[in-house]
Amino acid sequence: MKRYLFYSIPLALMWCFVHGSVTIENFIFGMILGPIALRPFMPLFKVGGELSFKDAIVRIPKQAKYFAILIIEILKANIMVARIVISPNIDIKPGIIAVPIDTKTNGGITAIANTITLTPGTLTIDISDDRSVLYVHCIDASDPDGVRTSIKNDLEKYVLEAFE
Amino acid sequence: MITTEIVLEFFSNFILILGLMFVFLGMLGILRLPDVYNRLHATTKIGTLGAFGVMLSILMKVGFTPIGVKAITVGLFLLLTAPVAAHMIGRAAHRHGVDLCDISVIDEYDKTYK
Repeated sequence: MKRYLFYSIPLALMWCFVHGSVTIENFIFGMILGPIALRPFMPLFKVGGELSFKDAIVRIPKQAKYFAILIIEILKANIMVARIVISPNIDIKPGIIAVPIDTKTNGGITAIANTITLTPGTLTIDISDDRSVLYVHCIDASDPDGVRTSIKNDLEKYVLEAFE
Repeated sequence: MITTEIVLEFFSNFILILGLMFVFLGMLGILRLPDVYNRLHATTKIGTLGAFGVMLSILMKVGFTPIGVKAITVGLFLLLTAPVAAHMIGRAAHRHGVDLCDISVIDEYDKTYK
């Protein structure tokens, strides 16, 4: 029950935004719709451990920092790909690299996979069965070990802080 | 008050042009890059930011009215869902046996697909 309430709050806010105006009536209607929308997907959310409102609030500054870094990385990624696209001779060395990750929870893995896709020159293709290796397509794969260390040091640190 | 409106109008138009330019570059990327995986780079990164820029420009033009809030919500959902779509397309392509282009240097993806 607490879990339903917990996940309904962001859904209710989202309902307000989709409706276009944040009012108390819209929020309450969203809270009523939330559990109905959540019901079919609840078996997927077996996160394990106890959820607490306090824990979620403590993480907000770290998540804000993560999103700030994400926005900078997205802009860098776009400029990089744009430069490749408009250069007269396309000179790239693409390839798929296996990147080991430390993240264990479903939310953390989703976050890091999406972050890798939105950051410069990398695109997540798949995850191994034991959830320890991500297969990442790189637009410049001439230095596989460099890509691995840059993902580990630059991105995963912030994802671990924000989502685990 | 008037000055703020002029500045917002200016930034709105600027971001709109920037976003449309990025969308154009994304399309150019689809035409020029060699294989499906490289083309996904162009569509997910450039296409997403371009569409997000157009939505942000709408928000700046109309302010926090219902239309503006809806536009920015659509933009955020694009940012959230584009990587997932790219991930699924790339995975499906590799499992269907689409090879990487000739200039690729490395492929560590396990071909057995356990």
